[in-house]
Amino acid sequence: MWEAIARFFGPKPVEVVPYYVAGAVIFSVLVIILLINLPSRARKPLIATVTFLAGLFYATEFFLPIDEATQKNMLTDYLVPARKLGSLLAGMTLTLGILSLVRVHGRNIARLRAGWYNSVALLAAMVAMVVFGLMDKYSTHEGAKRVFNVLFEGMLINMDATMFSLIAFYIVSASYRAFRIRSVEATILMTAAFLVMLGQVPVGLALTAWIPRDSMFDWMRLEVVKEWLLTVLNAAALRAIAFGLGVGGLAISLRIWLSLERGAYFEREI
Amino acid sequence: MQHAFEKIWPVLIVEVLTAIIIVWRILSAQRGKELFIRRIPGLNAIDEAIGRATEMGRPVLMVPGIGGFGVVALQALSIFSYIARSTAKFGNRIIMPVADATVYTVAEEVIRDAYQAEGHPERFDPDSIRFLSDRQFAFASGVAGLIQREQIASSFMFGEFFAESLIFAETGNMVGAIQVAGTVQTTQIPFFIAACDYTIIGDEYYAASAYISRDPTMLGSLVGQDFGKLLITALFTVGMISATLAALDVPALSAAGKWFVELFQIR
Repeated sequence: MWEAIARFFGPKPVEVVPYYVAGAVIFSVLVIILLINLPSRARKPLIATVTFLAGLFYATEFFLPIDEATQKNMLTDYLVPARKLGSLLAGMTLTLGILSLVRVHGRNIARLRAGWYNSVALLAAMVAMVVFGLMDKYSTHEGAKRVFNVLFEGMLINMDATMFSLIAFYIVSASYRAFRIRSVEATILMTAAFLVMLGQVPVGLALTAWIPRDSMFDWMRLEVVKEWLLTVLNAAALRAIAFGLGVGGLAISLRIWLSLERGAYFEREI
Repeated sequence: MQHAFEKIWPVLIVEVLTAIIIVWRILSAQRGKELFIRRIPGLNAIDEAIGRATEMGRPVLMVPGIGGFGVVALQALSIFSYIARSTAKFGNRIIMPVADATVYTVAEEVIRDAYQAEGHPERFDPDSIRFLSDRQFAFASGVAGLIQREQIASSFMFGEFFAESLIFAETGNMVGAIQVAGTVQTTQIPFFIAACDYTIIGDEYYAASAYISRDPTMLGSLVGQDFGKLLITALFTVGMISATLAALDVPALSAAGKWFVELFQIR
């Protein structure tokens, strides 16, 4: 049976793809109509069952022993089709996202709100990127490829880098506020940060370089202090936070997987 | 492909045991057992921040991070649902920029539900939930622009944040917004602590919805979580003692200590 399912979802010859696509569309429409018309009483157990089965698949795949040679178990091969389902859903929701963008900015332009020309620039940039991106991939037109290169490599990548480099300035202003010595905690924070920063640079290291290594005062060398702060105090705090988050994540996953939420996210009626 | 480590049984037993404890506490809370949660200042500040936005007549910003649809995003939406109920009550304008299309569609429904639950569906503006971009820094520049243009009064950042966290927090600080943030990314917590008024740290993030809603299921889950942490702490303590015994030269005790250490040791 597994082979038949794998064959059904596997790659198909190009000539039969349209039939499969048409079949998938009809099937999806029927499922949507069925879901819409299901009474709320039946919809809840259906959603709970699908959620439980989907979660069970991933949990079982994770815990089933694997074959050492292939690094797989009997369910591993089905991870890819499962992820494809997720990608399909993401693709459909992306359309809704783009519609939202067009709706908000289209209204800005139509009503000539303040800064409407920015909305024109945004929509024009989006259309240009889609058109030239597709031409770059599917056409042999050299001019289109050059335009896409300017848009992507020349503009988008550089604008990304500009935003990223802004973080350096923000770090300075945020740390200035955080490290102002106003309380005992801020003083400890400032002292620890000062020692770590000093331990990272040659000038700082030179300050304690005169203390002989392997002596009883070795622990006073700045690189040792810095390493201790980072790998003992800091790492312990981070691990404690990570463990708390892990157990918290497990709890919320269980609530969703076993449908114990009782409408916490979507009110009483699903 | 990520699988359980080669020593599957100890991991499986600890995980199943933690899961059983959590489910047991949830079920006992649903049966009406009274549970206590300590005060979390960052979550108490949510009402203060909404109140400030109401007084100033300026919008409230909610950012669910740039992560995909999963438990972290769902938890963020649960907190935003509570905030949206308050804004629906007081008539504040909200802005919720979203980076993931799947989160966008669910967020729209969750916020619409919150307005309906408060009895003000007419106050819900679909344009307040906006998909900006799924590129990290395009989204960051979009949110920073919104903060500056709209001069937001309060900013709530809950979800998965990466390098863009400081861009949001510092821009919010520039316009004088009161900011409450919480993330599961431990690398971004220091940035939020430095730039925001209140930061929710670690598992407080997952405690937020229970703390706010006081829903028995969530409260039970939270207490179950703490029992889980106690179990892990007990394992740590036994592990430390075992490692010490393994290092000592006492025949029977060393062997027992070594056995326990090897049980959980990962190569």
